[in-house]
Amino acid sequence: MTDQNSSILAVKNLNVFYSSFQAVKDVSFHVQPGEIFGLLGPNGAGKTSSLSAIEGLLKPHSGNITVAGYDVNKQPLYAKANMGVQLQATSFQPELTITEIIKLFAGIYGVPLTSQKLNTILQDIKLEDAASKRFGQLSGGQQQRVSLVIATIHDPILVLLDEPTSGLDPQSRRQLWDRIEAMRAKDHAVLLTTHSMEEAEAVCDRIAIIDHGNVIATNTPESLIELYKNDPNVIAASRKGKITLEDVFIGLTGKTVRA
Amino acid sequence: MEPKIPKPKDTFLSLIRADFITQWRNRRAVVMTLLVPAIILISWKGLVQHFGGPFVLSMSLTIGLTSIGLMGYAISVARDRDKGIFQRLRATPTPDFFIMISRLSVQLAMIVLLVLCVFIVGYKFDNITLSPTGYALTFITGIIGGALYLGLGQAIVGFIKNAETVSSTTRLVYIGFLMLGMFGELNQFPAQFNKMIHWSPFGTVRMIAAGAMDPHLWNSNTTIALFATIGYTIVFCFLGIKWFRWNSAGA
Repeated sequence: MTDQNSSILAVKNLNVFYSSFQAVKDVSFHVQPGEIFGLLGPNGAGKTSSLSAIEGLLKPHSGNITVAGYDVNKQPLYAKANMGVQLQATSFQPELTITEIIKLFAGIYGVPLTSQKLNTILQDIKLEDAASKRFGQLSGGQQQRVSLVIATIHDPILVLLDEPTSGLDPQSRRQLWDRIEAMRAKDHAVLLTTHSMEEAEAVCDRIAIIDHGNVIATNTPESLIELYKNDPNVIAASRKGKITLEDVFIGLTGKTVRA
Repeated sequence: MEPKIPKPKDTFLSLIRADFITQWRNRRAVVMTLLVPAIILISWKGLVQHFGGPFVLSMSLTIGLTSIGLMGYAISVARDRDKGIFQRLRATPTPDFFIMISRLSVQLAMIVLLVLCVFIVGYKFDNITLSPTGYALTFITGIIGGALYLGLGQAIVGFIKNAETVSSTTRLVYIGFLMLGMFGELNQFPAQFNKMIHWSPFGTVRMIAAGAMDPHLWNSNTTIALFATIGYTIVFCFLGIKWFRWNSAGA
């Protein structure tokens, strides 16, 4: 699971600055085929900045990112063609209907879209009755389903999800987990950021905890718990006696609430 | 791994189709853009005798072009940037310039529509007709003048990150141009101020539009106005592109 050469996503010594503020400091990790990798961290830890650099939305100060072997900065179109993206606050043109949005992104990715395929997609996300609705008229859960279907419309080998379950009800969250696990079953790689430790423990194969721009731990959820269960900060963070991933997270990143 | 990349043609056609649908759904705003020049043409019927058809037509056209560049282009770019629509598109295998060219193509179509509207209303209500050369040259100057205001709109969205501030600034600049154009070009201000207005981005576009409508009126001042228009466009575009950020947070 840790062979870097076969990685779908490889991030090496990534540094991101906003003017003089360093948001990401020498971050390195990789994601393998069929792996769900979670990037966890408090607010402002550098998760979204790392993800934005991988998505090619911001230029890193230094470091190297490859997606399916393509350098994100040198071959951005090839790298982007191999990844599907769900941004934290996804927005589509509010004037477009769901059908038009799906057609737009299918066209952008060069995916042939027959009306039968379009119907299948809409049925799959339970939005066949909302096909002519505009994106802004959908509920939060429905919007997330549309965002995810757009992110995966070209069947990418890497899917990047920035807090995909925030604001979702338990049913929608479970459905999303099922979809993410289905991608893993197809040997696709998934990189997600989340604040939900329950989610990370339930779906992620490996986790990196990031704080103040640094990766401070990387491992499977079980190994992280095992590794840090005797750490005094982790024990102090524990509320129920049994050490959980959340205890490890708070033990490592501190109890202070971030802005 | 086998390279897999969508055809640029597919990507661009999808973008442009979506942008035209968006423009169509905003047709109320399109009507408003066309309405102001039409109202000017209709209400200034009495001035045609005094100032000549090309003057009234060029004034109306220039105000319409200002509206497209400032109210149409700049506000929609600022809004979509604020909503993260550009970032979502940029996360796909779409070259950044495709996104902007697609937006500009819609504005180009708006310019063509505006020029046609001005010709038709000018003919129907004011009986203004031009020579075939005049019509052709007006189309060209419409595009040149439109580029200046699109460049100005670009400079505003480059300099100002917040969509609401962009909206209020462009409205203010538009009203300013409207007032200066109406009173300045009619020589209602002191001579020095009138001169400034003549050589402002509003005045130079109006001058070249009037010169294009009646090529006999084209003189050395009109040629200088043409170069000034191109110069303004280059400066605004340079600043607009240099300052522009794809998200309103500025990253």
